[in-house]
Amino acid sequence: MRRVFVVAVLLFIGDGAGVSSADDAVTRFDFVLNCSGCHRTDASGSATVPALGETDALIATREGRDYLIRVPGVAQAPLSDERLARLMNFVVREFGRAPEFEPFTAVEVSRLRAVPLRSPLSARP
Amino acid sequence: MSGFDRWVEGSTRALARRLSRRSLLRRVGVALAGAAAFPVLPVARAAGEGDAARAAAPPETIDGPAGDPSRCEYWRHCAIDGFLCSCCGGSQTACPPGTEMSPISWVGTCRNPLDGKDYVIVYNDCCGRGFCGRCFCNRNEGDRPIYHPYRSNDINWCGGASTQVYHCSTALLAGLALEAQPEK
Repeated sequence: MRRVFVVAVLLFIGDGAGVSSADDAVTRFDFVLNCSGCHRTDASGSATVPALGETDALIATREGRDYLIRVPGVAQAPLSDERLARLMNFVVREFGRAPEFEPFTAVEVSRLRAVPLRSPLSARP
Repeated sequence: MSGFDRWVEGSTRALARRLSRRSLLRRVGVALAGAAAFPVLPVARAAGEGDAARAAAPPETIDGPAGDPSRCEYWRHCAIDGFLCSCCGGSQTACPPGTEMSPISWVGTCRNPLDGKDYVIVYNDCCGRGFCGRCFCNRNEGDRPIYHPYRSNDINWCGGASTQVYHCSTALLAGLALEAQPEK
């Protein structure tokens, strides 16, 4: 399993195929550096960390959208509002199955990350 | 003598009259060197493209401790906090026998001293046996306080494994970083 994990990360970063712009490459890099350590590169999660496919259920409601940005791992990520908005849109598109969603904007991210959740497990919609 | 033979003989003599032997040798030498520099076979071209794709591999032929995976100073160990699996029966990329690699990991970047580039390094802990006790390192570059759990190496990264007993740490390479991690 660990070999598969490493190869997946290498493909993620080392292979430029499928990366359509410099922004996309930066967003994928941001995912590897800030998300993949806990959620894993295939976003499958583990016994203690949720899979990122679960964003489907959250992105469909206002409370769920707010939760996705206010959860501490997202709100406190060392990224600008613009990069964080692009990263979250990438996560929802890449790993979720929601057919359509309204993309996060930097303004929305800035407003929501200013009030991070203190107890994300109990606050989950 | 056939017509072809006479044509070849005439051409050769004409060439010999126009060119000195040194000049001929020089031109032949340039042609040979040029052929070596520009591979024409498709297999050779494909191999060259493969080399480019593998360009993310950093140089590992580093003299001194920065090139030794069993030392804290090893370049991939810039954020290490724990026992080196290289000293515990494993390696910088593999867990010792009888342990399990945790599926979750601390991810950061380290700068390779030879090429000066930053690379993504994934620290996966090996779990399932008690403390290794050998080669303890605590460099912590880019480490954050525990209230930033995704970038704190003080929590038990065996949390995602079937057992939470920590044994040692690996340092896996995950490719070229587009920039150094922001905490540095």
